[in-house]
Amino acid sequence: MDISSRPVVVKRMPERVNSRVAREFLRDVQPFLTTDRPQLVFDLSQVKQLDAAGVEMLLRCMSEAHKRDGDLKLAALSPPAAVVLELTRTERLFEIYETSTDAVRSFSGFLPNAMRQQLLHQKTAPAPLAA
Amino acid sequence: MKTMDIRGLVLINATSEAAAAPVALSPLPPALLEVAGKSPLQRTMERLRQFGIEQVTSVIEAEDAQILEVKNSSSIFASRDRFWRAAENAFNDIIQDGAELVILVRLGAYAEIEFEKLVQFHLDHHCRVTQVAHQSQPIEVFCISASRRNDAASLLRSQLSKCRSECPRFEHAGYLNPLASPLDLRQLAIDILTLKTETGATGKQIRPGVWVEDRAVIEKGARVVAPAFIGAFARVRTHAVITRCSSVEHHAQVDCGTVIENSTVLPYSCVGAGLDLAHSVVGLGSLANLRRDITIEVCDPKLIGYVSATPGQRVLNAALEFTTYLPKQIWDGLFGKSQPQQPDLKTALRQTSPALGSAAGYKASACDTEAAGEFASNLAIVRRYGHQ
Repeated sequence: MDISSRPVVVKRMPERVNSRVAREFLRDVQPFLTTDRPQLVFDLSQVKQLDAAGVEMLLRCMSEAHKRDGDLKLAALSPPAAVVLELTRTERLFEIYETSTDAVRSFSGFLPNAMRQQLLHQKTAPAPLAA
Repeated sequence: MKTMDIRGLVLINATSEAAAAPVALSPLPPALLEVAGKSPLQRTMERLRQFGIEQVTSVIEAEDAQILEVKNSSSIFASRDRFWRAAENAFNDIIQDGAELVILVRLGAYAEIEFEKLVQFHLDHHCRVTQVAHQSQPIEVFCISASRRNDAASLLRSQLSKCRSECPRFEHAGYLNPLASPLDLRQLAIDILTLKTETGATGKQIRPGVWVEDRAVIEKGARVVAPAFIGAFARVRTHAVITRCSSVEHHAQVDCGTVIENSTVLPYSCVGAGLDLAHSVVGLGSLANLRRDITIEVCDPKLIGYVSATPGQRVLNAALEFTTYLPKQIWDGLFGKSQPQQPDLKTALRQTSPALGSAAGYKASACDTEAAGEFASNLAIVRRYGHQ
């Protein structure tokens, strides 16, 4: 198993993420994103409102992290955040964990158990109606 | 042979348990919300007329002009504190007009009752008041003899909770939807589109299972998969997909590349471009996700928005949009970058929403099951014979 010794930065996202807040948040995390192989976890448990600018900011952070061979993972998605990510087709682009701890641990090894809940949710979704 | 004079009285008020629930999605009670082109009130009235009950009065609790669209000669509007008095007055007027029997329906739940059988049951049992029940649970539908004015008055004064005399139950075995939550609203749309209800979707069936009302616009490149409903003046823009019993009600808009799956878009609502709306009900800037059982307010019009219900305001907005659109196009033509080529339906569906600004168009192919097709065929062969 590849044990990573690099630090993982966990940031809690604010309650309402509109374009202004997203800009401020991006400014806050920019120093972490520009390091070598950045490892970030965004905790979305407090998020009550997430708009397109917020999702755009998440995608920008992810692509910045990827550019430097790092990764951004999401944790503890609140239901409103989960709905907006689903709506904008972006939830499939992120690794999403139940808790920030699981997300942090996932950088040092694959955690199938932590992702089980998410997969379970997908499986228990109502079967599509026969068209 | 003398025919019996039977009249209908339909009550709609927000204090009923069911009416209070999906408030966030619309200012109207569910009984007035159009589902597949017609509201439960219109459907109930239609059914009463089918059974020969031509004269139907509705009493609606309403404060302002929100109900302008349902206004007709047989509707009475009353404020919350005067609602039950107005209902009693309407009942008395019906009796004075010569009615012998009154079918009283409170919406509430939408039930497709066989009124003929109900009346027969009422007459056979010599009842004063008969209440309808579904699976032994009473529902707020009554058949009242006009001669028993006091029983009716007592029933209305108790807000349909008590009957003065013994009130036999007529068991209803047909369709019933409690209309108590967004989930019920969605279920009603599904049941209408899959022909489980007796009243169907309005509009013309352009293909088997696809109902489209007049003046609806389905742009070239958009796909509507049966069963589905598109209401009057609704607009489905290019590369959008409407599928799995989805219903886009009148004046609603679905922007380019958006997929609406097993969802209802309520009247005057707009769904932004490149989104994936599944198992949801959308109305007036709110979204009820049925899988997660949550209603959220979406403040971003790029995602969920709404158009004005007043025609004047809509024309003004369209004119404003047009006046800003032309100079922008001229500017872009002179100084802007060349327009990117319009993606085809398949590409549009695999990209993230254009609402996401600079992050738009991020291809999700790595996570897409369709991406499997992009692997070289020799990889598939390695997998198949890997153990050899």
